[in-house]
Amino acid sequence: MAILELDKVSKSFGAVKVIGDLSFQVPDHSVFGFIGKNGAGKTTTMKMILGFLQQDSGVIHVCGEKVSYGNTKANRNIGYLPDVPEFYGYMNPKEYLKLCGEITGLKKEIIQSRTKELLELVGLDGVNRRIHGFSRGMKQRLGIAQALLNEPKLLICDEPTSALDPMGRKEILDILSLAKNKTTILFSTHILSDVERICDRIGVLNQGKLVLEGDVSDIKHKYRKDTVRVEVGKSFQPEKAADGLRKLTAVTNVRTDNRIIEIQVHNAEDSGADILAFLLKEAVPVIRYEIMEPSLENVFLQVVV
Amino acid sequence: MVIFMRGFLAFTKKEFLEQLRTYKWLIFLAVFFLFGLMSPLLAKLTPDILSSMDMGGIQLNLPEPTVMDAYSQYFKNMTQMGVVVVLLVFGSILSNELIKGTLVNILAKGMSRTAVLLSKYTAAVILWSAGFLLSAATNYGYTVYLFKNASVPNLMFSMFCLWLFGCFIIALILLSSVAAAGSFGGLILSAVTLIILLMVNIFPKAEKFNPVTLVSKNTALLNGTNKAGDLYLTVAMTTTLIAVCIITAVLLFKKKQI
Repeated sequence: MAILELDKVSKSFGAVKVIGDLSFQVPDHSVFGFIGKNGAGKTTTMKMILGFLQQDSGVIHVCGEKVSYGNTKANRNIGYLPDVPEFYGYMNPKEYLKLCGEITGLKKEIIQSRTKELLELVGLDGVNRRIHGFSRGMKQRLGIAQALLNEPKLLICDEPTSALDPMGRKEILDILSLAKNKTTILFSTHILSDVERICDRIGVLNQGKLVLEGDVSDIKHKYRKDTVRVEVGKSFQPEKAADGLRKLTAVTNVRTDNRIIEIQVHNAEDSGADILAFLLKEAVPVIRYEIMEPSLENVFLQVVV
Repeated sequence: MVIFMRGFLAFTKKEFLEQLRTYKWLIFLAVFFLFGLMSPLLAKLTPDILSSMDMGGIQLNLPEPTVMDAYSQYFKNMTQMGVVVVLLVFGSILSNELIKGTLVNILAKGMSRTAVLLSKYTAAVILWSAGFLLSAATNYGYTVYLFKNASVPNLMFSMFCLWLFGCFIIALILLSSVAAAGSFGGLILSAVTLIILLMVNIFPKAEKFNPVTLVSKNTALLNGTNKAGDLYLTVAMTTTLIAVCIITAVLLFKKKQI
């Protein structure tokens, strides 16, 4: 079953079309990476899902329930972590979660037990200071706690790691990986290494359209371009070998850069022998020889640019 | 309805905590306590202060201060400085949250926007009422103490008019904060509206319908220049305007992009 369903959603701000005919589904218990450049329309889409912005056309369903603008009823199934979550600085984390729980209508005992559990999960247990002294990372972690408080079926995170240092990023990703056992996550970002770490599925948004969508491993496989990368010794001019390599039948393209030769082939494993034989014959001083794995970054650049 | 009440109660509690922890209650109650204390004292001491000054040989014959002087001093303070204090303390209760984005988490949890506005109105009116009662009680007690005889006609009604005007300002602030953008948009729009209402009273025909009349006739009610009945229409008008402000604010807020 799809937890989130967008059907031909469009949105313009004045004359600028931000989202055009966007359709996608997020299946139950998956982590969906919503990828796009800054300004691609990720936050706009999320705000429409939450009913904070009105779409010009199209329908959004959350857990089978239609989202309508200004009415936040469908939001009881959603936990939302804004890119920079803001809290009431005069409260401490426990008081804030209590307020959130009361608004959602959780019972007193449940609020208490969930608060304890979640503050432990995000590493803020025992922090009784007021929130106004919190660092960005701490606020982000409290943001996750408040988003998970009502055990939402869908957790929406808007660039949760973008403003954090490497330590903070790792912590947030670890928490999200734990959360994915319990809920479906829609995770927007432009940091592709984060996506590779925790997402099952991705959708790449460019100029208001989904230009690529699917399973992460499928996509990597599909966009696989076999490339062999050879690093040569200092004394050797890579251009010297390049011409000879181009003549090999299996090779489609050769690029040189400083001490690196990048060779594109039809099938890296099969044509490896030809390349190695050539390198041996020409007595090229090889420092490193590797078959490149396609990274999401390459895929991203390919579909977006 | 249950969801609405739940949100309303939780958020009103949060508003009270905010007043407490940001020291709004302290500032508010202290200022209004001072107004109540100073007004009768100043009325009592004014002749002494003036006669103690060297007036260059000019003889000043001032009449003995009366209870009426004490009350007119009180109403002057409350309707001028008091209004400014209300504007400053409550002017950003909504704008602040909209600018900072603190409402995003709350609304994302399915909290009703109507409940947010009503909570803010309720909590602000309660603090205003507390400050008002404190100043009124202090003023009354001290006036009785200093002037022995403190009974004047229409005192309760005149006080009520002042209180109702405060409630009107708070409703106006909420509407202005939804309508105008920025941290001070709501505050400025409210102040400008009040100034316009003040100018409208130049036309005698408009007086009866203008909330501002509630705070310009207080002394006239006490000395008998105006009867209570003269202001009944204004009270009804102001009550209606409070409701109109809140309902319009709710409708606009529902359509506001967060």
